[in-house]
Amino acid sequence: MDSLAALWNGFSLAVTPVNLLFGVIGATLGTAVGVLPGLGPAATISLLLPLSYALGNPVTSIIMLAGIYYGAMYGGSTTSILLNIPGEAASVVTCIDGYQMARKGRAGAALGMAAIGSFIAGTAGVIGLTFVAPPLSAFALKFGPAEYFSLTTLGLMLATYLSGQSVLKGIIMAVLGLLLATVGMDPVTGNLRYTFGLLILEDGFDFLTLGMGLFGVGEIFSTLEGKVKAELVTRKISHLWPTLKDWAVSKWSILRGSGVGFLVGLLPGGGAVIASLLSYAVEKRVSREPEKFGQGALEGVAGPESANNAAASASFIPMLTLGIPGNPAIAMIFAALLIQGVTPGPLLIKDHPQLFWAVIASMYIGNVLLLVLNLPLVGVWVQMLKVPYSILAPFIVIICSIGVYSMKNDVSDVLMMVIFGVVGYVLRKLRFELGPLLLAFVLGRILERSLRQALLISRGDISIFITKPISAFLLGIVALMILSSVIWALYNRFKTKPSAPGKTA
Amino acid sequence: MLPPRLAMPVLDGKGSPVMKRWERMAAAFLLFIGVGGATLAYQLGFGTLHHPGPGFFPFWLSLILAFVSFIHILTQLGPDSKPVSLWSKEILIRPVTAAAVMFLYALSMDWIGFFSSTFLLFLAWLIVVEREKRLTIGLISILGTLSLYVIFSVFLKVPLPKGALF
Repeated sequence: MDSLAALWNGFSLAVTPVNLLFGVIGATLGTAVGVLPGLGPAATISLLLPLSYALGNPVTSIIMLAGIYYGAMYGGSTTSILLNIPGEAASVVTCIDGYQMARKGRAGAALGMAAIGSFIAGTAGVIGLTFVAPPLSAFALKFGPAEYFSLTTLGLMLATYLSGQSVLKGIIMAVLGLLLATVGMDPVTGNLRYTFGLLILEDGFDFLTLGMGLFGVGEIFSTLEGKVKAELVTRKISHLWPTLKDWAVSKWSILRGSGVGFLVGLLPGGGAVIASLLSYAVEKRVSREPEKFGQGALEGVAGPESANNAAASASFIPMLTLGIPGNPAIAMIFAALLIQGVTPGPLLIKDHPQLFWAVIASMYIGNVLLLVLNLPLVGVWVQMLKVPYSILAPFIVIICSIGVYSMKNDVSDVLMMVIFGVVGYVLRKLRFELGPLLLAFVLGRILERSLRQALLISRGDISIFITKPISAFLLGIVALMILSSVIWALYNRFKTKPSAPGKTA
Repeated sequence: MLPPRLAMPVLDGKGSPVMKRWERMAAAFLLFIGVGGATLAYQLGFGTLHHPGPGFFPFWLSLILAFVSFIHILTQLGPDSKPVSLWSKEILIRPVTAAAVMFLYALSMDWIGFFSSTFLLFLAWLIVVEREKRLTIGLISILGTLSLYVIFSVFLKVPLPKGALF
């Protein structure tokens, strides 16, 4: 009941004209970002971080940034269904059956079911967030430095484990991110680390510069490699509201997608992409007619689209309650909170109850807004797909530059962003996942602080990490994950069959 | 529009694979960073387990980086099944040109100001990188620069560099 009362207060704050306005702006921008291929939610949130800072009010800015994140999950399906190109990574699997439905003249049904499934799952995810976050936050208050060290390690391990094909490359990226976070002044002793006498490095790398470089600029360089002509399969969208038959076919897919998405979203590194892929696999497995998948099965759209929205809502839970962001977009929101002087973690609900509950309330409102934005306005989004990327790219580049420059009014930050853009491009080409790098960069200081504090408390006795039950349990999971990866790798190596499946399966 | 693989990081492995040779070179570079990082961190001061010094955390991180990179090299030994073009001129020309344009943009911003440098960036991008039609280049460069200037400098009051020109 406490949660409901607090949520009611959150609603009173979320429906103020300013917060409502920025909620609408966030949801609209998010949908636009989701619709347009090439600019993900992480890059867009990083683009708007300076604006959120300028807003001054953490509640308003986080409402806007959260709107961008879950709005992108809604918008991504439009491009997948109409163009066979995922507007956003979490909508990759929607291409498979969504596009086939559009080719068969059922684009309206696919878009409608994607939006309604997203609404149901997104709302279910926020309900889960409402009731899971407070007890989890209370439990996390028992955590000391040793537990935090182990939890952060587990978060990073999960992020590397779930983010791509190669665990080794994921670990390399995570460690590189942690190393980048050590550049600059040591927070305990004040010594300069890895600055090579350069003044610009004394404050360390800026999260915004790194994020915009790797995700914004790097993504643009990658897209410039080739030009793929994609044609809209249809420009006239009709019959958006599902028929009774469509409902009958999709209702369980939506529910299963919501459940799968919520559980995966809770995991660091899980997020919407894995949730949608897993949901598609589940739907195909439980279907009585699995051969329909790939030919335009409505369940293949309803399930994954529900899953990615439920996961988007659920991924706020570890960030808000434990202070562990699970994916790059959430890491950007995490950074935005830090910029505003708010530290996400177990004390957030206690210290900033208004912010916590207003953001959750805004997510309920946002889901309704997105349904309104996505169903009647689908024609507008279709028109937007006609804007060529060649025109859009210089705008993105300039807005990224303004964003980075405005933080310190220093052109060298823009240069640094371009350098990170090139690094991100090269890493992408070599198929290194950038997500673990960014997450590790955000978590680097927390990890180092927890490690040093734990060693100080234990007077240098490293057994503190295994004598404390919670810490031992968390590190046990890490050890199991490493062990399973090694066994899996050895199994693949010595197996006679050459075609080894990906480890993320 | 974009190649689909760019927007699907999880399915990346289903696109063209990275050649083992490049994997080994990348891992060797990271191994070098790991060894170099560990050396520098040790010089910073390792401290004790009770009172870790500034080099303690980066030292262990660098060692892990070096170790994992070394393991990665070992997993990538052997010949490639088929060559994959990653760095050909056709692939790199536009990204490299765009990076050069952005570098020049960043360098010129303080010198000639936001307005002029942004106008030049639009021109350079649309002519050299995108090879758009003349009318598109002219319209987008003028309207784009004006709209961004009005939004960020006039409405949002972002202190953009003035420079020698405007």
